[in-house]
Order: sequence, then C-alpha cells, then structure tokens
Amino acid sequence: MQQNQRKTTPHLSRRTLIKAGIGAYAALSFGRPARAQSPTRLNFAFWGQQPEQEGFNRLIEKYQAKNPNVAIKAEIVPPGPQYYQLLDTRLAGGQGPDLFRVQYQRIGKYAQNRAAVDLSRYLDKDFGAGFGSTFWAAASFEGKVFALPHHTDTFGLYYNIDHFEKAGLEAPKSLDKSWSWDEFIKAARRLKEKQTAPYPFAMHWVLSNAYRWLPFLYQHGGAMLDADFKSPMINSKTGIETIAWTQSWFKEGLVPANTSIKGTEATQNLFANGTISMLLNGNWQIPFLNEQMTRFRWGVTYMPRDVAMASDLGGNCVAVSKDSKNPEVAADFLKFIASEENMREFIIAGQFLPVRKSLMQETIAFKVRPELMPVFVQQATTIPEHMARTEVLPKWSEINVKLNDELDLAFTSGQSPEATAKNLETAVKQILAA
Amino acid sequence: MRAATGWRHRVRRLPVAPYLFIAPNLLLFSTFTFLPLLFAVYISFNEWGLLGQPHFIAAGNYARIVEDRLFWRALGNTVVYSLGTVPTSLALGLALALALDRPLPGRSLIRSTFFLPVVISGVATAVIAAWLFNDNYGVINAVLQRIGLPKVNWLSSPSWALPSLVITTLWVRLGFCMVVYLAALQSIPSDYYHAAAIDGASRWAQFRYIVWPLLSPATFLLLILNVIYSFQVFDLIYVMTGGGPGFATTMLVQYIYQSAFITSEMGYASAIGVVLYLLILGFTVLQWRISRQAQNAL
Repeated sequence: MQQNQRKTTPHLSRRTLIKAGIGAYAALSFGRPARAQSPTRLNFAFWGQQPEQEGFNRLIEKYQAKNPNVAIKAEIVPPGPQYYQLLDTRLAGGQGPDLFRVQYQRIGKYAQNRAAVDLSRYLDKDFGAGFGSTFWAAASFEGKVFALPHHTDTFGLYYNIDHFEKAGLEAPKSLDKSWSWDEFIKAARRLKEKQTAPYPFAMHWVLSNAYRWLPFLYQHGGAMLDADFKSPMINSKTGIETIAWTQSWFKEGLVPANTSIKGTEATQNLFANGTISMLLNGNWQIPFLNEQMTRFRWGVTYMPRDVAMASDLGGNCVAVSKDSKNPEVAADFLKFIASEENMREFIIAGQFLPVRKSLMQETIAFKVRPELMPVFVQQATTIPEHMARTEVLPKWSEINVKLNDELDLAFTSGQSPEATAKNLETAVKQILAA
Repeated sequence: MRAATGWRHRVRRLPVAPYLFIAPNLLLFSTFTFLPLLFAVYISFNEWGLLGQPHFIAAGNYARIVEDRLFWRALGNTVVYSLGTVPTSLALGLALALALDRPLPGRSLIRSTFFLPVVISGVATAVIAAWLFNDNYGVINAVLQRIGLPKVNWLSSPSWALPSLVITTLWVRLGFCMVVYLAALQSIPSDYYHAAAIDGASRWAQFRYIVWPLLSPATFLLLILNVIYSFQVFDLIYVMTGGGPGFATTMLVQYIYQSAFITSEMGYASAIGVVLYLLILGFTVLQWRISRQAQNAL
C-alpha cells in the first residue's frame, strides 16, 4: 500500500516548485491592479494652459491619495516644438520622464522607435473597445498600443455676433445646415464689404501646424495619401483645387497676411480684439475668449463644408517612456487617468472632448459656455478616419514639415497651386520611400 | 641614472600653477563645448533620428548638402543678412561713437539708452520687435497710418521680412559697436589731434589719417564678432518669423535647428553645423590675414 502510495504521489522537483511559484506570482500579478508596494517616484511631463495643468494636478492628487506609496512629479514644459525637443533629448540621453503627454500626430514616431513602452501587457484584451476607434488606432502601431488616448478636440467656426448682425448674416444652427465653401466665402466677402473688421476671418494653422489644412482637402473629396498610405494623392484635381481655394483667402485679403502657416500671430487675440469677425479654431479657446473677449458678443458654429464634412483631429494621448524604471505603476496611473470618471473630470476642467465611447454619448456639464460645446461634439463626428490614420503615421512629422513649407510658399510667396502640389508629391514620395 | 635625474628635474620645474588655474575652465570648456563639437563631427557622418541608434553613412550628409536647394537658400539668406547688418552696424556704431565722444548734455543717458538692447535677452528683444512690426496692431504701422501712409506687412511679406530683421538687428548691435568704438576713440592720445591741428589738418583729414587707422584693431574685432553673430543668428528669427514667409528668412542656424529637432535628422543637422563652422573659421582666418597685411603696410 505504502509502495503504491509512493508510486502515485507526484514527485515535486525543485524546478517544478520554481515553475509553480512563478506561475502563481504571475497569476496573482495579472489578476490585480499594479500597486506599488515600495515607495515609487514617477515623473510626468506635459504642457498645458492653466485649466489643463489644474486638471492633471487634480488627477495626480487623487491617484496619490489612493496609492500612498506613489509620488508623481508634474513636469510642466512649454508647448510646441520646445516640448518635443526637450523630450527627444531626454530620451536620447536615457533620462526620459516616466510618463509623457503626446499629440496623436506624433505618437507614431515614439512607437516606431520604441521610445514609448508597449502597453499591451498591462491591459485587458478588450480594453481598447471602450475608446473611439479613431483614437485607439491613433495610439496603436503594428497591432500594439503605445499610449492611452486621453482627450480630443476639434475645430469650429467662432463668429462675432455684433459683426454678423451689422452685416445681416446668420450663422448655421445645425451640422447639416453648415455653410458650403461658397456660402462661407460669400459671408466673408459680405463682412469685408460692410467693413465690420479689418479682416473677415483667420484660420489657426500658424506656428507650423499645417496638418490643420487637411480637413479642407477631405471636405473637397481629396486625401493626402492613397488608401494603403503608400503613395501621395495630393497632386490631383482635388488637391490642386483645395490649395487654390485656401490660397485665394490670402490673395483676396480675406485673412491677415501674417496668419499663414509659418506666421506667429495668435489668431485668438485677433478675434478677441475685433481684428477679425470669424475664427476657425479649436474648442480649447473657449475659456480664453470667455475671459478676454469682453467688447463683443460671440458664438460658435460649424466648419464650412464642400462635398464632405471634415474637421481637425486634435487632442493628446499619454505614454509610458522606455526609460521608466516602474512601467507597471506608470501604466496603472495611465489606466487611472483614462478611466471614465477621471476622463470626464479632466475634459470638464480643460474644456476638451472625450475619447471614451461611453462619454461621447453623454451630455457633459462643461463649466464655461456649456451651450457651445455641443457644436464641437457634433463636429468631432466628422473627423475622417483616413485623415486620422494618415496623421498618426510615424513619418507624419516629416510630411508635416514639407506641408508647412509648401503651403506657406503658396500663401505668402505666390507659388502656384500646381507647383505646390507637385513639390509636395515629390517630397512625400521621398519621405515614404526612405 | 643621470637621465632619470634630468627627467625628475624637468618635472619639478614644470609650471603647475598656471595649469591649475585654467583647469576648471578647461574642464567645463571640454565638457560643454569641445567634446560636443567632436561628437557633432562624428554624428555628421551618421544618420541619426535622436531616438534610435546612429547609422554610419560616410559622407552621405555632406553629399546631400551639395544638392540641397534649401541649404543654399539658407546660406544665401545668411550672407544677405550679414551684408545688411555687419557694415551698417559698424558704420552707424562709429558715427554714434564719434557723436557721443564729445561733451554733450545727458551724454551718459544717451549712451546707456543705445546700449540697453545689448543687455536685454535676445528673445525679449525679438518679442518687443515682433510687437513693433506687427502687421495688424504694431506701433510702426499705426504711425505710418497716422501720417497717411499705407500699412506694410513687415513680417509676412517676403520682400519686407528680411529688412525688418535687419532693422531689429541694427537696433540691438548699434550699442555694442558704439561702446567698443568709444573705448577705442578714448585710447587715442589727444596729442595726435593737437599736433595735426597745428599742422593745419582739417577734421576730415584728422579722421582719415589718425582716427581711422588707429581704430583698425577695434574695427577688425567688431567685423569678426559681427560676422559670427550674423552667421549664428537664431533667436530673432525663431521668435519673429519662424523662417518664413516661405523661406524668406530661413538662415543656416534656423535650418540646422529644423533639421535636428523638427525633422529629427541629427546627422544632417550636424553636417550643416560643421559646414557653418568651417565657413566662419575660413572667414576669420581670411580677415586675420588681411588685417595683418594692412597693419604691416602702415
């Protein structure tokens, strides 16, 4: 009997015990949220206006209250090129922050170079299902996710109500009644004729944000790249016509000359002080205008449209850097800030739009001019998926530089739309082939 | 045995103190200037996007420079900008120094006013200048309109953007040139003027044959420094025009910055940096020789 028992009892070797131990640890680790057991310090680099900074700081405080062992240091950096210059230099030196905020248009570069950590191992398989597909795709590269979408924003048409009344204009009241290109230009000419302001309008693509020109291309039925994102499509009838249309704004004096792509003019100031009667800009300007535009009444309507509707893909995601010594805790913080409750709190603070499906259906109680936000919420539904996927390609940064150069030449230096489209086609071909 | 004693003797006689004095500066210079310079030369032979690993491509970046139209455009703009700023800032600085080298009421205040832009940071100066030249609400356009002249698109027109930058640069550099020339003027012994006056030399003859030759070391110094400043201009462009409109104000350093941090081509940016270094070095050596020949001829 004893002999039989000995035979049937499984022999536990040291190796089996170790394997079992690792398996049990893994099962426990993956089955529970990553909580730092020992004191952990994280650095979180981001930029932002005051409301955004306060929004992030509040989320950090909440997370630290729940996780007393974790200390998160906010590193607030000036926005724009300086932010990415600093980030890239730190990453090159192996001193990157644990977490960094990044535009959807730029995450591809960090993913391709593995400067951001693949988050897939920290997320449930269906985690992405809760996010809008455009934003989840923007944060993904080669089937893996390298950042969590955090919020979005888009463009609308701000208008000066006093100037509109003087010119006898009425802004469209619904998305399906949004102005066509012709109606928009007619309104601009009427404002010019009535001399309501020195210029009828301006578009906020200054400081080399040429990608914001793309919605006009898509509105006209065009695209920057083909369906497979392999070849340029810009040197086409739609591309040339869109360049010509936007160039005509400058030729006709409908927009201030210094609001071209390489301009440094703050277009929101021009709108606030009455230099322009209409402004194509993003929803994040609402708090600024609410505070600064005291001499005029103002409202927001929808972007103009042509054969299609389209608007800008704005907003940011947050990534964990390759240099993080605690990627698991950093990923846990990411999941925390991207949760439904915290995303709602942040977008209310910063006047942004949500990227979680559940919140997209919800009527968010924004604090400043809440009656205007539904315009942007509806406009966000017109962001073309193909455009979004184009803008998040790893090589988009390089394409954007060429778009800056060529469009600025067309708008300020008289370069023909045909030459502009041809130069862009050549440049994009070279970039994609490299 | 004798040789060993000689070696020890030589070591004992080595002047250690001077090396100790220059050591901190040498260490900092090597760490923050010399070694990065060498690293830039190394990187210029590589393709490197900052985030990945450098990839050796031999002289590929230098070959690209030769064919890059934008590089030549940036170099051309830099040369035009230098021609617009260097002789004028020297001439105006000298004129101002001559004017302020005589007793005048409020002379110190006037000198300080002209020198003020030199001590303000370049970015702050550029921000002020951008406001002054603003197309829509700038002071200069407001004055033009007040006297019945049309507005000028100072920073957004390809024809006016570069002149606007030249004017701003003159505003900044004038005070510096003035101070250097003032110091040089005050070092000329007054006996020379008295002797020349006794000989019946006119004011112009005194300037032509006494002042101008004796100012040549200061002129040489200012010429070299101003050419270097002009070739390295960045902050003014970055703040005021961003290199636009089009490429009207894209200078070499602006192009280096764009290649390094906007398109992430660190190798190409380093190659342009090396070319810029060689250009400035070549010009300085050339000027040095010309200056020495001129001094020998005196």
